[in-house]
Amino acid sequence: MDIFQLQGYAYFGLVTLMVVILYSYIYHLYSSEKKGTKDFEKYGNMALNDEIDDAPVEKISKDEKK
Amino acid sequence: MENRPLEYDYTVAKMFMLTTVLLGAVGMLIGVILASEMAFPGVNTMLGSLGLNEFTNFSRLRPLHTDSVIFGFTLSGIFATWYYVGQRVLKVSMAESKLLMFLGKMHFWLYILVVAAAVVSLFMGITSSKEYAEFEWPIDIAVVVVWVTWGLGIFGLIGIRRERSLYISIWYYIATFLGIAMLYLFNNMEIPTILATSPAGETGIGAWYHSVSMYSGTNDALVQWWYGHNAVAFGFTVPIVAMIYYFLPKESGQAVYSYKLSLLSFWGLMFVYLWAGGHHLLFSTVPDWMQTMGSVFSVVLILPSWGSAINMLLTMKGEWQQVATSPLIKFMVLASTFYMFSTLEGPIQAIKSVNAIAHFTDWIVGHVHDGTLGWVGFMIMAALFHMAPRVFKRELYSKSLMGTQFWIQTLGVVLYFTSMWIAGITQGMMWRAHDEYGNLAYSFIDTVTALHPYYTIRAVGGLLYLIGFFMFAYNIYKTMTSGRRVEESELQSASPMAA
Amino acid sequence: MFHWLEKHPFFFAVGVFLVIAFAGLVEILPNFAQASQPVVGTKPYTLLEMAGREVYIKNSCNACHSQLIRPFKAETDRYGHYSLSGEYAYDRPFLWGSKRIGPDLHRVGDYRTTDWHENHMKDPAGVVPGSIMPAYTWMFTNLADINTAYADQLTNAQFFNVPYNKPVPMKDGTTLTVPMAKSVAEANAMALEEAKTISADMKDKDVQDMVAAGKIPEIVALIAYLNSLK
Repeated sequence: MDIFQLQGYAYFGLVTLMVVILYSYIYHLYSSEKKGTKDFEKYGNMALNDEIDDAPVEKISKDEKK
Repeated sequence: MENRPLEYDYTVAKMFMLTTVLLGAVGMLIGVILASEMAFPGVNTMLGSLGLNEFTNFSRLRPLHTDSVIFGFTLSGIFATWYYVGQRVLKVSMAESKLLMFLGKMHFWLYILVVAAAVVSLFMGITSSKEYAEFEWPIDIAVVVVWVTWGLGIFGLIGIRRERSLYISIWYYIATFLGIAMLYLFNNMEIPTILATSPAGETGIGAWYHSVSMYSGTNDALVQWWYGHNAVAFGFTVPIVAMIYYFLPKESGQAVYSYKLSLLSFWGLMFVYLWAGGHHLLFSTVPDWMQTMGSVFSVVLILPSWGSAINMLLTMKGEWQQVATSPLIKFMVLASTFYMFSTLEGPIQAIKSVNAIAHFTDWIVGHVHDGTLGWVGFMIMAALFHMAPRVFKRELYSKSLMGTQFWIQTLGVVLYFTSMWIAGITQGMMWRAHDEYGNLAYSFIDTVTALHPYYTIRAVGGLLYLIGFFMFAYNIYKTMTSGRRVEESELQSASPMAA
Repeated sequence: MFHWLEKHPFFFAVGVFLVIAFAGLVEILPNFAQASQPVVGTKPYTLLEMAGREVYIKNSCNACHSQLIRPFKAETDRYGHYSLSGEYAYDRPFLWGSKRIGPDLHRVGDYRTTDWHENHMKDPAGVVPGSIMPAYTWMFTNLADINTAYADQLTNAQFFNVPYNKPVPMKDGTTLTVPMAKSVAEANAMALEEAKTISADMKDKDVQDMVAAGKIPEIVALIAYLNSLK
């Protein structure tokens, strides 16, 4: 097997992997919001309420590792 | 002073706003000079009586134009908005960390040094010849230092943030940082010639700053266009998307239409963009499959690009009256429209049969400029317009001047790209035309003289844009010095503007 | 997993980097060994040609002229045989260009002469009416940087095994050896010898006087380079 064949397989494998990951990401985004476990749209408010004394959308709590 | 409430600290943002305006004016001025030289070659020797022909000549000035608008105007704009947006969406002030403040200021002053060195060396003709990577090795090393300083600032600020999740704009800034770092390093691999030793034992021969590229011929081209294409991705697309995801929602008071779509577009763009570089080398001597790959991925690239652009336009859903009333919103909506337009035009040019005509012609130049003038330029100016009242605590000096500027520049962009389309396609067709006996129908010079009217129109278009840019600079200057002072409460969403 | 990534900037950055880096790895690296093999007839640049190439780069000639002939009838009719990958094996950097404001130059040595270039560089519109190319008069007075060109040759030989002083195969079955000087002094002498063969075909009195006095103007080096493009 020469390097160009390897290149071909590597290319195909990686692209397939990336596509699977991308689609599972889409599935994750929409299903977790439908089930109500996550709310992604609230993050949009990070741009709107961005004064330094506004409450963060999700606060970093003291006891948690950053 | 002890009890003063914590505020965002915009010191560094202000510094970079200044260079955005200054270097933008310089870069665009050189652009107009270049455009005039193509329409009227006599302009090349305008300073001939001073013996300065060598330095006003088209070919010597051309890298100065591209580099000053890319690494001067655009990069300053990216830095300025980062030092503004970064603090706000992470809800942490730079005043909270002496180290970050120091890094920010160091970042600025090192950047100024590099700019000065770059300008001098390019005027002297010290160049590696690679487009947008013209700097020789000493400057390359300085560029890396500037970049790392910025990176430390980014991750430092993220490290002390109050907001747990990173807003989508921050993702794009991080991607800009990483992408450019990778591309720039690999494309500028070179061996300084002072390292060579002659058989007689002499060392340090010739100019100390000269170097030889690590790659040769076809490989060098491949790496260069992998860089060239993606420098556009991570310099002209990714960070500008970062800006619009913050500034448009903030200015209009509307949250992003679909945050999920913005996340998807992000990963889609990251995944696809890097593959498309091959479209600069169609019909060249790089392997065929790579050229095809470049074509295919360029077309696929429409999806994530439009994902972001449509998301922005839908953010304005139900609020379109704002486009009519606010010139600032006008700039941003037109910017995202031009983004859609040029991300459609790019893939079309990457189709092999179209590329056969378009490559090496002015159509490519037109494509670059509807992206840079329409998308990058408009968005950066809009960002600065939005930031000015907040960093100077003053009202924008003149709304009507903004409106006039908008229309003058829009006209300029339209003249620019329409004339370059026609010029490009005309020349592409003339190059390949054969007469009835199978001989070439036109000599090369025929295809040059035919373009004179379009070159003239383009120069006018560029001049209009430059005039608009000076109006922008004047407006920002007057805002800074004599705008009405405003209260914090007026700065919630729409920027305050005086008639 | 995805949500976790969004809250951990470091791992997020690593993820982004992997996604953007792998295209380059798969696409570019494997081609490297193959593409840099010279074809028969491709030889390294002589000292004066190398100095001329640096003049070409210094003045960004590549901003307006390509050196890449695409495999179309219209292009091969106009410029000659289409370009082959191996022909660029000794080009560091490559000079393909991206825009043809002027014509392609990859085989300009086949159809233009020293005399033509001399007149053209002085007054392009006088030779080609309607030309928008500016005159490059300073090349007739500025001196070519022979030392740097020599350092360029040395770097090519020492770091990239470019075959100086070694026979390279030519198209007619013979071999040809491009010599490289052993010292800076010898290099300058060699460049001057090369320059004399070029300036002998030139008409400009000042250029000839300079070469006779042991000085090499940029134009002489540039023409040597342009003549080598075949």
